[in-house]
Amino acid sequence: MGQLSTRHLIGIKDLTKEDIELIFKTADEFKEVINRPIKKVPSLRDTTIANLFFENSTRTRLSFELAEKRLSADVVNFSASSSSVKKGETLIDTVNNILAMKVDMVVMRHPDPGAAKFLSERVKTVIVNAGDGTHEHPTQALLDAFSIREKLGADFKGRKVAIVGDIMHSRVAISNIYCLQKLGAEVMVVGPSTMIPKNIESLGVKVSNSLMDALNWCDVANMLRIQLERQGDDKDVAFFPSLREYTMLYGLDKEKLNSLDKKITIMHPGPINRGIEISSDVADSDQSIILNQVENGVAIRMAVLYLLAGSLGRN
Amino acid sequence: MRWLIKSAVIVDPLSSHHGQTKDILIEDGIIKTIKSKISDGKAEKINFADLHVSPGFVDLKANFREPGNEYKEGIWNGLDAAAKGGFTHVVSMPDTTPPIAGRADVEYLLRRSNGHTVQLHPAAAMSAQLKGKQLSEMFDMQQGGAVFFTDNAPVERTELMKRALEYANNFGAVIASLPCDADLNGKGVVHEGTTSTQNGLKGIPVLSETIRLMRDIALLKYTGGKLHVLLVSSAEGVELIRKAKKDGAQITCAVSANHLYFNDAALEDFDANLKVMPPLRSESDRKALVKAVKDGVIDAICSDHQPEDVEHKNKEFEQASFGIGAIEHTFSAALHAGLTVEQCIQALAISPREVLNIPYEGIEEGSNVDLVLYNPNESHQVVKDNLVSRAWNNPYIGKTMKGAIYGVFREDSSLIF
Repeated sequence: MGQLSTRHLIGIKDLTKEDIELIFKTADEFKEVINRPIKKVPSLRDTTIANLFFENSTRTRLSFELAEKRLSADVVNFSASSSSVKKGETLIDTVNNILAMKVDMVVMRHPDPGAAKFLSERVKTVIVNAGDGTHEHPTQALLDAFSIREKLGADFKGRKVAIVGDIMHSRVAISNIYCLQKLGAEVMVVGPSTMIPKNIESLGVKVSNSLMDALNWCDVANMLRIQLERQGDDKDVAFFPSLREYTMLYGLDKEKLNSLDKKITIMHPGPINRGIEISSDVADSDQSIILNQVENGVAIRMAVLYLLAGSLGRN
Repeated sequence: MRWLIKSAVIVDPLSSHHGQTKDILIEDGIIKTIKSKISDGKAEKINFADLHVSPGFVDLKANFREPGNEYKEGIWNGLDAAAKGGFTHVVSMPDTTPPIAGRADVEYLLRRSNGHTVQLHPAAAMSAQLKGKQLSEMFDMQQGGAVFFTDNAPVERTELMKRALEYANNFGAVIASLPCDADLNGKGVVHEGTTSTQNGLKGIPVLSETIRLMRDIALLKYTGGKLHVLLVSSAEGVELIRKAKKDGAQITCAVSANHLYFNDAALEDFDANLKVMPPLRSESDRKALVKAVKDGVIDAICSDHQPEDVEHKNKEFEQASFGIGAIEHTFSAALHAGLTVEQCIQALAISPREVLNIPYEGIEEGSNVDLVLYNPNESHQVVKDNLVSRAWNNPYIGKTMKGAIYGVFREDSSLIF
């Protein structure tokens, strides 16, 4: 099997198209493995992986943990709520303390953009970014593209993907843009202009404020989760007036979907706010590949961990 | 003390020797003789290759973190670093702990810095205790030696800004502003542009600067006061100031050398040492700033020295403190930005003296000594261990910079490196 061009997985920005295709090929094999009655392989036996979650996450963490266990790695979990971070320890100290206990790889979720890069430059271990603030979430983008590939075929050229919702606060959007573009797809971001970064065109994407225009344009619509805290409080001005109005403008329901003269594929990184950005009948329809995304998440993370572990000199 | 500076190119537009290579004899803080060749067996000789001499640089914005956070720099060490940067005058910002907000504070700074080659000029709080609510005792502090009044932070209350400009004008004092709108800045950490989008960092729009400048210029015209803009960072900001000057408003402004050297693309790798307020802007803004220094819309280049220690900077980008501490490289950064030596001298030595009303008669026989010795053509690699400043947050470390400072003279005091 080949090797990745990077030692860490910080962001899709650092990957080549060949890296992404190698991850997909490896994930194909692992997907076959996790559908066997015995879902475990010994690839990372004797490798210890720490999942450091400085921000809440249920599914990403569960997905990584399952991927690690299916590869027979030893797994330790650390979450900020039960940690020394609140006692004022710096990130470097926290991670070095964990590494001193002979951990081989670190999977990290952190609220600050750049945290994974920061750490990769300062501690001696392999870092897998499981989301750094509003910067990147590379494994999510990989599993999204992998799911599109599974549904629509391996050739991304000319494929049109719309990413809908809160682009500004989304690490999923940035990573998806990089990933899909590297594979040859076209990307449009859609949402209220209050939640689209001013300079997003510089990334080579189309921008629209109309959901219907985007749906008519695209082959795939990736509906981002609206973070309920974006509604603002007494201190900050909200990005939109109410969920009700957001749904009116950007919520995807069966009526809008059926008005199209084609069948598009619907995605969502989860967790879903049913009835807000996506209605139940759309989420559960045969056009939706939301649960495939979740399944593929484990295979993609197995592939990433397996390929990065190559640099540990163990397999 | 007698010094003989050998064959130095005099760069001083106010001097009759401007552009000529001369020997300069100094005695007891006075320039005795300027001639093509001077021999003096008793004088200490200063001989450097390609030596240039100009009036000492004047920094309109620096913070030495004293009182309160001396471990980050301290006044004495900060003035040593300033000398290494070619400065003989430095204006210190009032946002220390506690702030410089009363006459006793101003006098404390002057006492602490007394005897140093570099003259410290305290700027003092515009609002009482820097709280942004009421006026400080500006007249009393001016009597004590404060050179201008600023909160070195966004002034949110429009009425306070108006009153300050009106009141300070009673005794000819200058109000200095840092034009940014705290509301629009929000939790922004970098310039709102391509890099902020790619890196998922919250952006600070140029709008934050222009909206505040528009307000302050309108207030300035209404009150007839005097305003110095501590830092301008954008092309649009420059245009607003250009127009205000043309309209006859009493406005001056400065840019930090860091904004002339770097643009926001440098933040691609989340280098927290480049996190500064106002943020490093786009390349087109940077070019407009350089051009505005050349055409004189921007009066002065300052260091905006904000020394930090490792604990405040070596951390996740959003959590790191704002500020760059690189007072030693102000001149070098300006040269690298494409300014000629003469343009640098104008913006580092001549115009800022006018902003501060420091009397200056040019490098002439009989004038007071206030000089910097340098070589604009010598290149050197910036090595951390050779720096005088304690600042950990120096983004020039590792870079090869042209422009070497050999020493400064002021009155009967000197520092030679």
